[in-house]
Amino acid sequence: MIRFILADIRRFRAGALAVVVLIALSVALCTVVTLQERAVRLGSARAAEKFDLVVGAAGSETQLTLSAVFLQPAPLPLMPGAVLAKLAADPRVAFAAPVGFGDSASGFPVVGTTTTLIASLSPQLAEGRAFARLGEAVLGAEVPMPGGAEIKPMHGTAETGGHTHTELAYTVTGRMAPTGTAWDRAILVPIRAVWQLHGMEGDHDEHDEHDHGDHAFEADESEAHHEHGHVDPAAPIDERFDADMPGLPAVLVKPKTIADAYRLRQEYRGETTLAVFPGEVLTRLYATLGDMRSLLLAIAVGTQAIVVAAILLVTIMHVGARRRQIGALRALGIPKRSIVVIVWGELFLLFAAGAALGISGGYAAARLISALLTARTAVRLPVEFSAADLPLALGIGLAAALVSLVPALVALRSSPAEALRA
Amino acid sequence: MLSLSIRDLEMRFPGLETPALAIGNFALPAGGRLAVTGASGSGKSTLVNAITGLERVKSGAIRWDETDIAGLPSGRRDAFRARHIGLVMQDFHLFPGLSAFENVVLPVRLARRLARPEAERAAMLLDTIGIRRPQQAIETLSRGEMQRVAVARALLSRPGVLVADEPTANLDRRTGDEVADLIIRLAAEEKATLIVVTHDPQVMERLDRRIRLSGGRIDEDSAGTPQT
Repeated sequence: MIRFILADIRRFRAGALAVVVLIALSVALCTVVTLQERAVRLGSARAAEKFDLVVGAAGSETQLTLSAVFLQPAPLPLMPGAVLAKLAADPRVAFAAPVGFGDSASGFPVVGTTTTLIASLSPQLAEGRAFARLGEAVLGAEVPMPGGAEIKPMHGTAETGGHTHTELAYTVTGRMAPTGTAWDRAILVPIRAVWQLHGMEGDHDEHDEHDHGDHAFEADESEAHHEHGHVDPAAPIDERFDADMPGLPAVLVKPKTIADAYRLRQEYRGETTLAVFPGEVLTRLYATLGDMRSLLLAIAVGTQAIVVAAILLVTIMHVGARRRQIGALRALGIPKRSIVVIVWGELFLLFAAGAALGISGGYAAARLISALLTARTAVRLPVEFSAADLPLALGIGLAAALVSLVPALVALRSSPAEALRA
Repeated sequence: MLSLSIRDLEMRFPGLETPALAIGNFALPAGGRLAVTGASGSGKSTLVNAITGLERVKSGAIRWDETDIAGLPSGRRDAFRARHIGLVMQDFHLFPGLSAFENVVLPVRLARRLARPEAERAAMLLDTIGIRRPQQAIETLSRGEMQRVAVARALLSRPGVLVADEPTANLDRRTGDEVADLIIRLAAEEKATLIVVTHDPQVMERLDRRIRLSGGRIDEDSAGTPQT
């Protein structure tokens, strides 16, 4: 039976190949859309899960989340430094880590923070130690610089016309373990170094901090405002924060309990500050993304339907051309069920081959896209099938099985004598 | 060996006034060797289709021994044909992509498992008809060889009757004679009743009995007065 089917497919190999390729392409399209959407959703959810609560200045929730979770370079408004001191002292808070964005080095974001965040992101450093002095830095796992390297931070990024801070070069002291988040591409430095570098702290009181309160070290800062402070690279870091700290764009907060998280979010949603659950903001983003997926998937399924219709047409024509062959099989007394199995099996084999190729091709494509995205953002995007795909796959399989049955039944409608005359 | 008996057979096609075939009474004893002739359109193919069950018969009876195949549903007719009737067709109807051997055993293989004795018999038949390389792809054989393979295929299941529909019409003179020889010889050896539709006078002469069809009726029967 299978020999006969294969011999037949070999005879019509060009057509069979075309059918397989058509099916493979449309199935691959469906697979990529499904897998990629899931990869982005899972990947960013995992990237966000380290940060339960992000507190920033009043503004865009989405921007705050994207900046804190994906380190997307964008000017964020600053909030008063007192917020950090208050959060750090709050008994409901496990830890509160400031983050200061704005600088970069060799295209990698330089983020000012504290050792607490390093300990949270990478409890065990992959190499070296955390920073202990103002002039030291810890690398994310994917920053391609050796330990001990010197990093000259650039204000803003090279593309936005930033300039290099010549006053300070950080020395790399350690490297974090991979986290699968955007922080793998970050260079972490002491927050106070960032403040001082931008003339926001330094010689306490002598400096008018309020002047910088609203537009300090962000990329959009104009040169005229630029006032660089002196930084002593050898000075030990001080991670105690009091009320008269300079402004900062965001604080990452780890509340002690879920109830605390909700209470804190409630409290810090006000006139001047904004508190968000990154996971929740992302979920809202995905709702939009999910609509996109539905649309894409609908297009993909539509494509599939057209392909199936085309294949059906081809098959019916094919069976028309094969009526004599089928007539001959019947003339030889071959049972109808065998003929149905042959015609059905041949088509279904093509469907199955196309589907298998399409699924593996789609999987490979999704892996490739994820790898490319990961290379750019360091956010790991897991490409994986889930149980939710099973009904869809089974549905497509069942449809294919039924559709393949049509030509077989058409083939048996006429008597063998009629078929032989065709 | 099967005997054939036809009674009150009438085959009509839609849109045609006169029946394509009308046979009141006809009998062929088991082991008989019958030639069927007639001009094209005289009903020869319709007769073959009727007696082999390829076409449904609405009126009349066609008995092979005790089985009236006119009364059988199409599935049962297919099964009866597979079991009792060896069919050799003008256009061979072999299946490219398969070897000579595979073509011979195809009807069995597509219906059930091929048993070892059947495989051995297929090899023996191929040897008898002079196919030296049974594994050779069928499309590389000559036309004469192809028709001989078709004969072997028809005989594999030891049918009680061998029906050949213009078996030599697509062959040249010499090859046609060889194939005709083979059919007559093997039908005798295999003890099968033989019915050959043919235009070939040489073939006709070598069969015991000859009928001629005209306008769907038997207008000449070498065995006696045609009964219409």
